[in-house]
Amino acid sequence: MKKVLWIAFSITSLLFLAAGCSFDNNDDGDVTNNAGASNNESSETNGNNTNDSETNTNDSEVAAGEPGGRVSIPIVADPTFNPWHPNAFAESNVINRVLFSGLTKPGLDLVPEGDLAEDWETSDDQLEWTFHLRDDVLWHDGEPFTAEDVAFTFNEITLNDELGANNSSYFNEVNEVEAVDDHTVIFHMNSPVAAMPAYLSFNTEIIPKHIFEGEEDPWSVNSFNKDNPIGTGPFKMSEYTSGQSVLLERYDDYHGETALLDEVEYRVLSDVNTHVAQIMSGELSIFALDDLASVEQLENTEGIDVLSRETPRFFWISLNQEDERFQDTEVRQAMVHAIDRQNIIDTTLQGFGTIANHGIAPALEEYYNPDVPGLEYDPDRAIELLAEAGWEQNEDGILERDGETFEIDFEIGIQGDLEPISQLVQQYLIAVGFDINLETMEWNTMIDKVVIDRDYEMSLNWWRYPADPDLYAYLHSSNAGTGNNIPGYQNDEMDALLEAGSQESEVADRVEIYQELQELMAVEQPYLFLWYPQEAQIRIDSLQGVPELAFGDALHYINEWYLQE
Amino acid sequence: MSRFLLNRLGQSIVLLLIVSVITFFLINLAPGGPSAAMRMDASEAERQAIITQLGLDEPVVVRYAQWLGSAVTGDFGVSFSTSEPVLERILSRIPYTIELTLFTILFAVSFGILFGIISAVKRGSLRDHAINFISVIGLSIPAFWLGLMLILLFSVQLGWLPSSGVGADARGENFSLLGWLSYLFMPVLILSTTILPNIVRFTRSSMLEVVNQNYIRTVRAKGAKERYVIYVHALKNALIPVVSIIGVLIPRLLSGAVITEAIFGWPGIGSLIIQAAQGRDYPLVMGVTMFVTIVVIVCNLLVDLVYSKIDPRVKNV
Repeated sequence: MKKVLWIAFSITSLLFLAAGCSFDNNDDGDVTNNAGASNNESSETNGNNTNDSETNTNDSEVAAGEPGGRVSIPIVADPTFNPWHPNAFAESNVINRVLFSGLTKPGLDLVPEGDLAEDWETSDDQLEWTFHLRDDVLWHDGEPFTAEDVAFTFNEITLNDELGANNSSYFNEVNEVEAVDDHTVIFHMNSPVAAMPAYLSFNTEIIPKHIFEGEEDPWSVNSFNKDNPIGTGPFKMSEYTSGQSVLLERYDDYHGETALLDEVEYRVLSDVNTHVAQIMSGELSIFALDDLASVEQLENTEGIDVLSRETPRFFWISLNQEDERFQDTEVRQAMVHAIDRQNIIDTTLQGFGTIANHGIAPALEEYYNPDVPGLEYDPDRAIELLAEAGWEQNEDGILERDGETFEIDFEIGIQGDLEPISQLVQQYLIAVGFDINLETMEWNTMIDKVVIDRDYEMSLNWWRYPADPDLYAYLHSSNAGTGNNIPGYQNDEMDALLEAGSQESEVADRVEIYQELQELMAVEQPYLFLWYPQEAQIRIDSLQGVPELAFGDALHYINEWYLQE
Repeated sequence: MSRFLLNRLGQSIVLLLIVSVITFFLINLAPGGPSAAMRMDASEAERQAIITQLGLDEPVVVRYAQWLGSAVTGDFGVSFSTSEPVLERILSRIPYTIELTLFTILFAVSFGILFGIISAVKRGSLRDHAINFISVIGLSIPAFWLGLMLILLFSVQLGWLPSSGVGADARGENFSLLGWLSYLFMPVLILSTTILPNIVRFTRSSMLEVVNQNYIRTVRAKGAKERYVIYVHALKNALIPVVSIIGVLIPRLLSGAVITEAIFGWPGIGSLIIQAAQGRDYPLVMGVTMFVTIVVIVCNLLVDLVYSKIDPRVKNV
């Protein structure tokens, strides 16, 4: 008896050690990097269908698919089933866009196309947007969907300042939404917003008036927000177990093509390393990978595809413009010249990125200009530019001007691969003579310090925006100080272009405006533009019918997904 | 006895108060409140609306008084992140943590004592050294790393065990013991590493002490079998200090559960506190902290009571 136990014990211990050794080698120590804060939209991306995919197994012909089956998708925390709820973060978005529908959705080329709305037009002065709605849409509880639901969602939820609804800032220029008849709504604007159809496709789904009417606080309607949401999407709620999983089942009266899959399961898995392990063991079907350190391991796993997808995102370094040292364009340009961005893309990002010269990402094909001259890696040029601004290296090799050394506090939040990236950036800047103190902090603390208080000198992060080139929120001087213009950069010429672009609805004219803006951004570097990251989409190869879009956008087409044996 | 209990109750209330004050002020004064725990591109108006809605524009002291006022009536407030009552959220998670910790205690105590005895009886042997060596390794390896290695081995490589969750399918109508235990196996193993080595070493040293005592020599002199000597006579007395260490180790289990639950997607108290802290869900953080504090207090009390039953020399007067 004792012997048997003894042998069993020895074998188990050996297995431990064996597991430790053999996996340690190909793991590259990424196990420690699980800092992904649940409140960040890290796994939530938005993308495009440029022809970069490695395999072209997609088949948009729905008819090809065999019905049935279940896909499993990881989420990092408990969701909230209300797209407008201030706590509806990335983990909620990936569910809400399956449960609910918006007026529009991103098309296969990311240009908005109709969802609940069939078509739309604007008045000549662009102060009225009229949306014609589908007349065959039923809520999951059987009630008909009408223009009243749209008017209610916007007038009572989005535009109610006290509620602080998610993404309500997209609709600051909307004065009121009017239900003209059952299937027509008009958005009355204070000033023209050309990006309206794009904003209406981005986490701004319609919720049912017949549930929320008369509720004093829509955020505490837990029977809906946490329990049994009623939407118009291709799947409806089946079962939700807090901390474990959300199970959706096919909605047979969906207004589009009825879904092929029987069920969609979302698993609550807070540790992102578990996502990798679970897709390798076949327990998960698809997700967007944040920590690219495990890309190689996944690429070498049979039955798993690693696909690269363009997304409207850009990484940046923000230099606080309150600090007069950073007001010199030469200094900002010198810093870009000093950083070998291609090397960071090739190493830390495993190649999943394209050098950015400005903020308009290649995902926006209509607007992106790849020929804008950029600031290539050239440390000598950086030193020249710094000399022009009066900064010379002293005997210790540190930049100095009028007896003051160029010392910068570089403050970042811990999230995904921001830390390894920032360490490389720090080394490149030190190489040309900057004295950089890198300080890492917990994500929310960083938001408090950098975004809310603007109490920082230099930070590194990224923006992800709706599929529209309107960067007003991130660059216009009116958003310096408190808005999303994090560096607080102010430039009249840029303001004029941003205003013109946001109001112009003729695509050809907009393209021209944004061409000019791209060139201005590339020279001025209001943010130091680093690169446009590509999403690493991880997918089991039996999952078919997923369009060539970023994961978040492909969810709008989940009714076309199917499983192939 | 009742005086002892009353005394302990008084101490416990003071302790709870101190813990609540410290936790409340720490979490509320920490940078990055609920208004920071939003999307990064949330507008200032959106952030301000949240502060107003959650009543965070009141001074911290006032908010603490309000919290304490309702907490004594059993109302722990409403979770910021889900608008559900805090108590409800905690209660829905408790069974899973209890299940995990109970199985872990069962596993760790039975194997811990067994290995402790082997180690003591075969003192100085290869087995003794092996057990000691593995105990030290078990204590030193971080649980999150070991957990991932187990997942890679058993779920990815061998495909024997599910890598996370509690196995809702194996619990419902088509209950299967094997299915249920397959979900428990890895979390229990990982959580055991936080206490198993301590139990082994404690049993070993206490056993060594006992077997050298006179009464054991007497038993041996009577000609009793060695197995009888060890398991009946020696073990009884050797276990007394082990019982007390188990009580002390339970709080450690609860903190170990935070990591274990996060790795294995176990929907217990541990994963709840992570969510609460990351999302700056103040009421939930307070609720969970109070709950865990009470568990620790009760465990310590139970140990004291049980101790006096096992060892009549110890009296709680």
